[in-house]
Amino acid sequence: MIGRRSLLTAMMAAATAAALLGGLSSARATDQVSLTIGKLLELTGPLSETGPSQDKAVSIAIDYANQSAAAAGVPLKITAVSADAQGDPQAALSAARALVAKGASAIVGPSITPESIAVANGLTIQKKVTLWPTGTAMRLRTIKDEGTIFRTVPPDSLQAYALAAALTDKMGDPKDKLLSIAYRNEPYGEGLAKGLVAAWTAKGGKVQGPVVFDPGQATFDSEAQQVVDNNPDAYVVIDYPDTFAKFGASLVRTGKYDASKLVVPDALAFSTVPSNIPPQALEGARGTRGGSDMSTEAYKLFDQLWTKAGGVEHFALDANSFDSTTLVVLAAAAAHSADAGAIAGKIHDVTRSGAPKFGPTKLGEALKAAWSGEPIDYVGVAGAFEFAANGDPTISRFDIYEYKGGKLDVIKQIDASK
Amino acid sequence: MTRGLEAASGAPTGAPERRFESIPAAARLAAVLIAAAILMSFARGPIAVGQTTLNGLVSARYLALGAVGLTLVFGTLRIINFAHGDLLTLGAYLTFGISALGLPFWPAAAVAVALTAVIAYALDFIIWEPMRRARTSTLQLFLVAIGLAIVIRYTIQFFAGSQVRGVGQDVLTSVNLGPFHLGALQALVLVVGVVAIAAVGLALAFTRLGKQIRALSDNMALAEVCGIDTRRAVRLIWLIAGGLAALAGVLYAAAVGSVNPNFGFFILLGLFTAAVLGGIGSAYGALAGGIVIGLAQEWSTLFFNTRWKPVVGFAILIVMLLVMPRGIFGGGRARS
Amino acid sequence: MSFFDLDFWVGVGVVAGIYGIFTLGLQLNVGFTGLINLGQAGFMCVGAYAMGMLVVDAGWPLGLAFPAAIVIAVAAGALVGLASLRLRADYFGIVTIAFSEIVRYVFQNAAFAGGNQGIIGYDAEWRAFQSWASERLAAIGLGEAAEVPLLVAVWATLLLCLAALRALQLSPWGRVLKAIREDEDAAAALGKNVFAFKLQSLGIAAALATIAGFFLAMNVTYLYPSEFDPSFTFFGYAVLILGGFASYGGVVVGAVLLCALTEGLRFLDLPLSAGQAGSLRFIIVGLILICLSMFRPQGLLGSKAEMQLRA
Repeated sequence: MIGRRSLLTAMMAAATAAALLGGLSSARATDQVSLTIGKLLELTGPLSETGPSQDKAVSIAIDYANQSAAAAGVPLKITAVSADAQGDPQAALSAARALVAKGASAIVGPSITPESIAVANGLTIQKKVTLWPTGTAMRLRTIKDEGTIFRTVPPDSLQAYALAAALTDKMGDPKDKLLSIAYRNEPYGEGLAKGLVAAWTAKGGKVQGPVVFDPGQATFDSEAQQVVDNNPDAYVVIDYPDTFAKFGASLVRTGKYDASKLVVPDALAFSTVPSNIPPQALEGARGTRGGSDMSTEAYKLFDQLWTKAGGVEHFALDANSFDSTTLVVLAAAAAHSADAGAIAGKIHDVTRSGAPKFGPTKLGEALKAAWSGEPIDYVGVAGAFEFAANGDPTISRFDIYEYKGGKLDVIKQIDASK
Repeated sequence: MTRGLEAASGAPTGAPERRFESIPAAARLAAVLIAAAILMSFARGPIAVGQTTLNGLVSARYLALGAVGLTLVFGTLRIINFAHGDLLTLGAYLTFGISALGLPFWPAAAVAVALTAVIAYALDFIIWEPMRRARTSTLQLFLVAIGLAIVIRYTIQFFAGSQVRGVGQDVLTSVNLGPFHLGALQALVLVVGVVAIAAVGLALAFTRLGKQIRALSDNMALAEVCGIDTRRAVRLIWLIAGGLAALAGVLYAAAVGSVNPNFGFFILLGLFTAAVLGGIGSAYGALAGGIVIGLAQEWSTLFFNTRWKPVVGFAILIVMLLVMPRGIFGGGRARS
Repeated sequence: MSFFDLDFWVGVGVVAGIYGIFTLGLQLNVGFTGLINLGQAGFMCVGAYAMGMLVVDAGWPLGLAFPAAIVIAVAAGALVGLASLRLRADYFGIVTIAFSEIVRYVFQNAAFAGGNQGIIGYDAEWRAFQSWASERLAAIGLGEAAEVPLLVAVWATLLLCLAALRALQLSPWGRVLKAIREDEDAAAALGKNVFAFKLQSLGIAAALATIAGFFLAMNVTYLYPSEFDPSFTFFGYAVLILGGFASYGGVVVGAVLLCALTEGLRFLDLPLSAGQAGSLRFIIVGLILICLSMFRPQGLLGSKAEMQLRA
């Protein structure tokens, strides 16, 4: 009958088509994967001093990943597109849309929590695009992001404990010790300061301040005076390098400042102190930053790459953006695809607790292992991440370092969850 | 006839010169400030008050020097020059650029100041003067100023990048005056600032050109009728405004130690406050306004959390405009 | 993909609508009353935060919080007006901008307004409405971009406000306003309470700012002080002058054009670093502002005669 023959023809046609398509898709799997990463940067506006270094951090990560992939024979090619968040959540949302329109499969940035949530709610959750902000607020944990937001920066709560631990390490039992806190008036500063005050007073310590300073000002002499008054046992200044250049100078000028009493968080961690921060402001000071058991060699590689690229000096949290970029690349390798949703699904597979560990110096091997489908545990420059379900890093390992002769020297590591 | 016009036209005046009239106002202001300082000493101790006073006088320098140019332009040409803050930035960044070519910092700064003065003059030639001739509205002038501010700031950022730049001067050496301390560079800024403003104020009061400028401030049309070469006076105003702005920017950069392209715009409102406070059109007013704002902001940290410092300036502005809109050394009319 | 991405342009449409509503208020002040209101962003901040705080802290439903926020913002407008409308035009402008900055700083620092953390979570009811509307729209084939319900809401409101303002201008109230702008003293001599009219004009502008703020808050889902920067007001003025002085229809045209331009410039692909590309966008906007103000101050749909009535 006509029906049966045409049915048979149809079936054969379908089978051929299926075979062809199947063949095509497997052919596509061995074809090159072209990945575009979106950089959501603060290029203009009140936070524009962070833009150039974030740009550089992501760019050198991409260059390094391209080299490593080529050397390891992994057919992965990564390019970048960028957009300006302008320091304003509305503009950040529009910029994120532009990035996605230009083909970005993942977005590194933005810098602050309000922008991050605006972008997440308005775009990335719906499109399953992974977002890698450097915001540290607790809010980013609790928002319903359906697994699209990941952070390589330690949340405020963990870092507050790390700071308290660093202080305790320095001066022993916190009970009745006076800690003078100053912070930069914006989300990072406030969130961390609140956590630190809680952690310190819970251990019986006393807090002076916190002194809040507006970053846009010219002089901070009055604020610096309030920090050093009453001869506290230690100070913590939560700040970014650009303002600390001024604040640190004000501290030194008070004549009552002792840099060895200072402890700073990760935003003021650099392998070499930038030229605009007066060295006396940090000499002998201690600090915390995200770390891992491969910290030394990882940071060394990062610094080499940074110096080789020329351009701007270190700024806050650049290593974290470097790590975010690398993780996206690894996930794309694991997924054999540049599809945003596929990448989102593979992030946990490249940071799986218990799987073989690879550090930044072994990126080529990591890429190869990911490409072949094995789960790995990538340990970044700023620490191992092993993300929780809500995208926050669970590893609470922190480096405690001291500035000696203008250079950062790690003196011990702690686990902030203890 | 108004005083400025009288003085400029050389006609014998029965009324006292403005500078004499302003002395009582200055004395009153000084008395109020000193009384406030004494009162606060009872609450917080003389050392704290003295130190914050010194800090306040330093920040007054940036404000005052920047405000002088603003007040001159506003007073004579009625232009709310929103681009003025970015002239400060221009001065600082031109200094960086020129010193990158090999000149040491202070000679480079001198060149930058001259260059910015010329640029300000050129901008008047290209933009402001044609608009004056076309008798454009306040709104248009205001929008052009905003556009100019944006263009200057982002052109600087285009070439220099938005990252913070260190100035490379010694920001740490401190001069100790008994229980008080002052950065050496800050002291330098204080001195240079006062000298510059005094020079401008004296020039305005005593030179012929200065008197002509004050005449323009009162009534430009009438001044022309009196035979004053308004074009020349206006050009000079822009040269002075641009040069002083650049000087303020360089001093700010030197004393603070590092800048980024936004800094001029960030302090612009503070400059306006100082200018309005002191009385539009008066260089001494800019000085007084700067002092009041600088002191008020630093003194506020004795009583309120330091996070409220920026608000103090704005609050004073609003109160002043409501209560004493002509400012301390006030000249023009403020009510409509 | 790339330039013609639907999501992106729907987003631009929403922003253009928000600026349109915002600038209608500016136009009423500047184009029809002769007031240089530089504090419009401050009113928007007060209104948006009032709404957010009423929903999140006081538990009010959105439908009640929004009108209440308008009332609060109008009260703020009245306060500012009472204090400063007697000053001359440029001083009034400075007071309004100082007010705007004070509002922003206060909300950034005060615990009651969330401070540096801002406010979040006030948009639950809106989101529910939005997903309901999206389903309806998807049924008729418009479900592509997620923001379409918001786009429709903003533009419906914008056109409504436009019609209302036009009607207002033709009313007796509007005629008095025109007289005040042309010659204040004559109007006063005829017995009109000039001050009261100016106050009302400012109040209406504050209400419009709040409406714009509502949509901004819904679009961004997060209330944070940097959204209410004076540059929002400056951009609004750019819209105003582009569209045309004393032309409400011009505001709509100006908003669409300027937002399309500034956002579209994000796609400009030149061999520049990211930072330079970012700066270039602003340089272009600034140049447009300067050229427009110098050479075509009446904008696209305004009239030169109106422009020069108030020098």
